[in-house]
Amino acid sequence: MQILEKTELKALKKARNLGPKKTISLLNKKGLTGRGGASFPTGKKWEFALKQKSKEKYVICNADEGEPGTFKDKFIMQKNPETLIEGILIASETIGAKQAYIYLRGEYENLKSKLEKTITKVIRKAKTKVNIEIILGAGAYVCGEETAIIKSIEGFRGQPYLKPPYPPVEGLYGKPTVINNVETLTAAAHAILLDNWNSLLRLFCISGDVTKPGVYELPAGIKLSEAMKLAKPKNPVKSVYFGCFGGCMPYKDIELTHDNICGEDCVSGSCTMIVVDNTRSIVDLAYVISKFFAYESCGKCTPCREGSVRILLLIKKIRQGKATAQDLNLLQELGEHIGQTSLCGLGQSCTNHILTSLKHFRKDFEKELR
Amino acid sequence: MDLILPILRKEHKKHGYLSEDILKKISKKTKVPVSRLYAVATFYTMLHTEKQGKNIIEICGSPSCYLNGELDLENFLEKELNIEFGQTTKDKKISLYKTSCIGCCDKAPAMLLNGKAITNLTKEKVKTILKKCRS
Ligand code: SF4
Ligand code: FES
Repeated sequence: MQILEKTELKALKKARNLGPKKTISLLNKKGLTGRGGASFPTGKKWEFALKQKSKEKYVICNADEGEPGTFKDKFIMQKNPETLIEGILIASETIGAKQAYIYLRGEYENLKSKLEKTITKVIRKAKTKVNIEIILGAGAYVCGEETAIIKSIEGFRGQPYLKPPYPPVEGLYGKPTVINNVETLTAAAHAILLDNWNSLLRLFCISGDVTKPGVYELPAGIKLSEAMKLAKPKNPVKSVYFGCFGGCMPYKDIELTHDNICGEDCVSGSCTMIVVDNTRSIVDLAYVISKFFAYESCGKCTPCREGSVRILLLIKKIRQGKATAQDLNLLQELGEHIGQTSLCGLGQSCTNHILTSLKHFRKDFEKELR
Repeated sequence: MDLILPILRKEHKKHGYLSEDILKKISKKTKVPVSRLYAVATFYTMLHTEKQGKNIIEICGSPSCYLNGELDLENFLEKELNIEFGQTTKDKKISLYKTSCIGCCDKAPAMLLNGKAITNLTKEKVKTILKKCRS
């Protein structure tokens, strides 16, 4: 796997030789984009922060992967922490930050001590002035959102706030801050060092109704059937969910590119695929996912806080056989409005699964009407 | 500048929960108002402001675990412990919660027992866990 290649501080050395500007143009040339879901060009992000004139700057490694069905950052932290730390050092030295934090989700507490040892070891070898500290989260899905991480580290409720200003301009404690996730920072070290680095290779997490769940490194654009051959579904596949937020599509042998997935009204985001086979009712999945969002809404803005609960109640009503066709229309309408009016990515995408399942699997819902 | 979250987590670990008294003490040390500490403490699912049972069980209810039979375990846990989710057993040995995905979806169903992930759960496995928690 490309992501597991050890860079042995050679990437850091190369970045130091190149200097900040050339390092950033190299990243741009290689085409590294954020692997957390937003796909923002990493070099651009760093460039914004580099341009800011500030004595204090920060780098935050987002290790708060919480998207259901996603476990690739854990995989990297277990198997290649050295290269991740090197990536953090490269980001920090490039933008001129002396302090970096790893915001590690509370559920991954058991990774902390080994990571700390790796940090000490790598920092000693790298002879750097950058300090890296791990901050453990405490259970909040929304803290995967970058502004929520900032609030959480600053010691407030981890609730998102409206952008701009964007973190590279004004982030942690109001200072320029680069926030990248684990996979992105690790890939940054590879992109800088390896001449034959392949920007298309991504980590796919496949789980659900499959006999071989796991992390697979596959090129973006691979056929869905190829991915399924690896994960070995238990029964014929009915649908694939792109995590909880990405929506679902009926099984179709498309090439898994960003555009193709968008074409199914889904969002591929972090390459998470939850496989659902033909023994399932989509209404049950809608129930499980609606519970998730009602529970994880941070409560800051009304459409998401109230709307996620309304959706859950409607799904409950459908499952009890008490709903009418009108309720399905209401569900659709709510889904559209909540997405359009919520403040952060959580609220904006929390009804993707409703809208896509109503579109592709309306029959499953209609079967349960009064 | 003090990092509030790590302090809260440390005290939580020490006492098992964050009482008003504990928050007041932290407030004195850090000069952060109690109201804000309370706001933070009540935001995160892993921090509690009420006394908890000796063991905390959090079972993952997200899709991959659901698809691998988590619902049966939910019912089983409630029946075995004779409490609902969010409650603590009378003997104060176990508090029961549901959690969102804990990143063990490739070894579903999964739970956290006192923060530690236990995976590939079966009823038998859960039975053994409960036995240990009760002893
Ligand atoms: S959209 Fe939801 S999670 Fe995001 S800020 Fe609003 S209430 Fe919080
Ligand atoms: S869905 Fe249960 S651990 Fe991810």
